[in-house]
Amino acid sequence: MDWLEDELRRALAREEPPVGFAKRVIARSARGPSGARRWLAAAAMVVVAVGAAGAWRQHQGYQTKQELMLALRLASAPMHRVQLEVKDISQ
Amino acid sequence: MKTLLIACLAALPVLGAPQQFQLNLDAVAAKSSQHVDVFLNASTLQLAAKFLDGDDPDEAKVRKLIEGIEGIYVRHYNFKSAGTWTQADLEPIRAQLRGPEWSKIVGVTRTEEGGSTEVWLRLAGNKSIGVAIIATDPKEVTVVNIAGNINLKALAELGGHFGVPKVKPAEKPKKEE
Repeated sequence: MDWLEDELRRALAREEPPVGFAKRVIARSARGPSGARRWLAAAAMVVVAVGAAGAWRQHQGYQTKQELMLALRLASAPMHRVQLEVKDISQ
Repeated sequence: MKTLLIACLAALPVLGAPQQFQLNLDAVAAKSSQHVDVFLNASTLQLAAKFLDGDDPDEAKVRKLIEGIEGIYVRHYNFKSAGTWTQADLEPIRAQLRGPEWSKIVGVTRTEEGGSTEVWLRLAGNKSIGVAIIATDPKEVTVVNIAGNINLKALAELGGHFGVPKVKPAEKPKKEE
């Protein structure tokens, strides 16, 4: 059993990290995500922004169309009435 | 160069074809119970035109109608009771339309009902470049300015379409025999 105990002791023994390990970890974490991840995040943001702008433009377009229809309703109703009245008088 | 720049900046409102007379209806607005203002310039009309469905017959007519239009400006007021507004409230509008560039082409007064409709044309040479409509009823006032060249017949025919009920003129009382 001695060999097993020796193996375990060796495996579980406290080992000091290599020189500069802590510095390297801190430096890496300060650098933030990798370049590829940053590009992915930026691309996702662009896709979301383009989609939102398209949806907003679509919404604006439909709203303006409704306003146009309302304006033409209000403008055409008196014109239609006058047209009928003038026709009625001339007959 | 400075003068040219100022001249260009001064021309901008003309290029944008704003309303052709001031829709100063503050007196009417103050007395109204409800009002609708629609102001569409050339760029908003272009945007709206893109969303008109060419397969829908009514919307196709609208698209054709607005082809030569540079702006539509509408003010519509409702009143709770008759007699709230007076003809004097519309005088600021009529005073502008009495200018040499405007010609009244139709004026209908409904004495019994107490309403009227006036249609004015703005001419440049022989070409129509704008329309003004003043339509009143005891409980409604509508003032419209359409800037640009519009087919008035086509506009009148739109009445009765897309939710506008066709209005029949009041029947003449039958003579008793």
